[in-house]
Amino acid sequence: MSLPADWSLLAVELAACGWILLTLAADLLLSGARKRWLWALTLSGVAVLALLLGWQQQMGLAGSFQSMFVLDRFGVYFKWLFLLTVAVVVVMTREFGALLSERAGAFYLLLLTALLGMLVLASIYDLLMLFIGLELLTFSLYIMAAYLRTDARSVEAGMKYLIMGSVSSGFLVYGIALLYGFAGSTNFNVIHAALASEPAPLTAQAGMLLVLAGLGFKIAAVPFHLWVPDVYEGAPTPVVALLSVGSKMAGVVALLRLLLGVFQPLAWLWMDLLAVLAAATLLYGNLAAIPQTNIKRLLGYSSIGHAGYLLMGLSTGSLAGARAVAYYLLAYLFGNLTVFLVVTAATKALGGEALDDYRGLSKRSGLLAASMFIGLLSLAGVPPLGGFVGKLLVLLATVEAHRIWLAALGAVNVAVSLYYYLMVVKRMYLEAPRATSPIPVSALTRAALAGLVLGILAVGIVQEPFLARIAAALHP
Amino acid sequence: MPIPLSGLILAAPALGALALMVVPNRRHAFVRRIAVATTSVSLAGAIGAMVTYHRASGGYQHELAVPWIRSLGIGLHLGMDGISVVLVLLHALCAFTGVLISYAIKERVKEYYLFYLLLITGVFGVFLSLDLFFFYFFYEMAVIPMYPLIGIWGSDVKERGIVRFSKEYAAMKLTIYLTLGAVVALTGLLWLYAASGARTFDLVTLQQRFAGTPLDPSLQRAIFPLLAVGFGVIAPMWPLHSWSPIGHAAAPSAVSMLHAGVLMKLGSYAIIRLAVTLLPEGAAVWLPWLASLCVMNIIYGGFVAMAQKDLKLIIGYSSSSHMGYVLLGVACLTPLALDGAVMLMFAHGLMTALAFALIGHVYDQTHTRWLPDLGGLAHQIPFIAGCSVAAAMASSGLPGFANFVAELLVFLGGWDRYPVQIACGVFGVVITAVYMLRVVRGTFFGESKRQFSHARDAATPFARLPYVVLILALFVTGSWPKPMLSLIDASVRPLIERVAPGRGRPAGEPITVLISTPVSVEVR
Repeated sequence: MSLPADWSLLAVELAACGWILLTLAADLLLSGARKRWLWALTLSGVAVLALLLGWQQQMGLAGSFQSMFVLDRFGVYFKWLFLLTVAVVVVMTREFGALLSERAGAFYLLLLTALLGMLVLASIYDLLMLFIGLELLTFSLYIMAAYLRTDARSVEAGMKYLIMGSVSSGFLVYGIALLYGFAGSTNFNVIHAALASEPAPLTAQAGMLLVLAGLGFKIAAVPFHLWVPDVYEGAPTPVVALLSVGSKMAGVVALLRLLLGVFQPLAWLWMDLLAVLAAATLLYGNLAAIPQTNIKRLLGYSSIGHAGYLLMGLSTGSLAGARAVAYYLLAYLFGNLTVFLVVTAATKALGGEALDDYRGLSKRSGLLAASMFIGLLSLAGVPPLGGFVGKLLVLLATVEAHRIWLAALGAVNVAVSLYYYLMVVKRMYLEAPRATSPIPVSALTRAALAGLVLGILAVGIVQEPFLARIAAALHP
Repeated sequence: MPIPLSGLILAAPALGALALMVVPNRRHAFVRRIAVATTSVSLAGAIGAMVTYHRASGGYQHELAVPWIRSLGIGLHLGMDGISVVLVLLHALCAFTGVLISYAIKERVKEYYLFYLLLITGVFGVFLSLDLFFFYFFYEMAVIPMYPLIGIWGSDVKERGIVRFSKEYAAMKLTIYLTLGAVVALTGLLWLYAASGARTFDLVTLQQRFAGTPLDPSLQRAIFPLLAVGFGVIAPMWPLHSWSPIGHAAAPSAVSMLHAGVLMKLGSYAIIRLAVTLLPEGAAVWLPWLASLCVMNIIYGGFVAMAQKDLKLIIGYSSSSHMGYVLLGVACLTPLALDGAVMLMFAHGLMTALAFALIGHVYDQTHTRWLPDLGGLAHQIPFIAGCSVAAAMASSGLPGFANFVAELLVFLGGWDRYPVQIACGVFGVVITAVYMLRVVRGTFFGESKRQFSHARDAATPFARLPYVVLILALFVTGSWPKPMLSLIDASVRPLIERVAPGRGRPAGEPITVLISTPVSVEVR
């Protein structure tokens, strides 16, 4: 690499930009039939980014670019997770036939743009970068959510997401403006120093709360969750997977950077607030999931429940809490992607996305049913699966922060969530199928499922290496 | 490095489950052989541990310690003291005989044994773990397989042909109750961990730390109910018992065997091992309450059992009634009573496992568990009838079987502490005799019924093996309780000396009298 040292910090993001242009060119140049290979181009793009990220890590590159963008172990850790998520989403798009029409090229373009947004978010060191990363991600998602132009539900999902998202972006920008007015800069360091040096005036506090509200929309926390069920139900399944894993993770990454960095001096304000929001989010997500009859709506509400656990970890304001959140996200990624991959692969053969369509899935495809079973149990937090360790760490951090009530609430919600996850398992394993023909699963999907399930087990059983990585990522 | 017995016992079924994942679906015989082989290894290990446990030195033996998450002080620490040796043996016996009884399962055989072995692994893990993290880890791992086991292979609970509880309902109720209990207990465990300041989940280390600097008594009083109620759900403590009888009734026989025989003991074991051991001040305040709840278990459970007509429901309610004696023994917290409680866990486990295996056989042959429809089966299935009489005698606490010794010890040991509750408990024995005799009479005696003429007995030695093993174990430990009691006592006395100083040495040492004169069978 002949890049100047400074620019090499941006290698992954620059390569992502390059690959976006490459995909655009390929989409224009390739003839209709060949366009179905665009998924391979996208996947290889993700692989190239992974190689570059590995190279950055190997060289021990770290530092900040123009004090706006920072490359550190924390960012690198999450960039790995983002790349993994997008890779699995690409596999999903292959299963999702409707997307692979002639407009597939633009879809992969948007997917890569969303990835770029997430990569930027992992490295933010300035409120403007936060805004740019977030908008890159969200704008791509607006379009992707409405991608099935002929499907009214998809268009509705896109519209809802756009309207709610724009409002939350408004919150965010307003918050940024207030903070800029207070500190005279959008740089994290400067704002942190300003907040630490004097008791923050009301405008600065309001600015922080508005920024948090904007991010609360991203991670689907109560009371910014209203878009979730409809968007989850209507948007194409791979997009929902990206929303529920990638976008949520990106929001949490930004929150971690902000809360443990810039807004640390205001911890007295946000800690209790987040604890209350965590409790509300947990209860709402898990209780509202119970009566659902559509698998994607159910997963939507369950993802609100998971946002509750993430907020719980964040509300501790401690390093242990941050560690727990990082671990939780890792387990959540594997569990949720497994479930969504199964939903994508099975929907066509099952004939719909209603819970009742999953009846007897175990008799039609043992692999899909078993993967779904393991994925759901991991989301519920059952040992020896990854979700269990994530929940345990979050609860432990909460207990150590002397919030027994919140920990108890979180613990009880494990049983609540287990109920609705088991209702899916019940249909898959206990009930008779409508049709008996086996469901074909492509080799690529099978490999991806095997990898994800192994990931769930690894995260649940051999915690030490993952915890060591996380600990290293959190100690700069 | 030689693998300690505890590791061997735990690893065998776990490896069996792993092996099953790669075995082809259709090779049923091979699948069954794997299950038999792995549970035999565990059984051999458990017997080995029982024989080689060094009573004079006491404490935890056959230990295995592997650091797991160093930053949190979590380690895979396995080991057995006298109490866990006995329960591991109980579980090994039930698991082994359960696998044999499971030969009756003909559908989705591989999946069945996979879940069954996971369940077995989880329960062994709980009895062997000396680390709070892994204790919970295995506990929850044991609960979840119950859902598919009951849901897929179970049967609806019917009343005169009408479904009273569907198996799906029973499975869900059981899973949610037990998980809810588990997470409440988990909250308590995490609180304990955070409050101890020792940054370790290791039970032995925590115990030593609390011996030096005890936890603040008010904190102990706050944490104890979380553990007692959380683990009490599975015990099953009244009024949180309602998942249990219908869970038993809906489960396939071999699962009921493990469920009633062993799973319920996880609760009382956890209360002894964690709640009482780590929180003596909390125990002093809360155990009297527990003692009164136990009476409700015994009397209420007994009366409800009397009113049932479904064989499995009768045994189901009887189990929750009998677990009342176990919890009563724990609540008394005297050496004799606790010896009795542990012995009763063993005896009751074997007895219930036997009862469910027998009912399973009757149901397979007659396709009914409805008591009024049955009768006269002694003509067709004399061997099963004979075993059932033995089970009923054991259950009613007749001398010669381990249940008698155990219940007697609970009553003797608890008399000074809670005379009223003990008196009620003695009354419960009478109730047991009533419904057990009614079951035996109604099922096996009376006129031979023509519609059951095709019923087949357990004729081959292989089919009889599980019943013989269970009855022999009950009979041997009942007639010659000394080896087992001395084993239990070696661990119970130090425990009580630690948590309730002064109570460890009762005047007169009545236990030695009982142990040195083996109770003879002829006492009638």
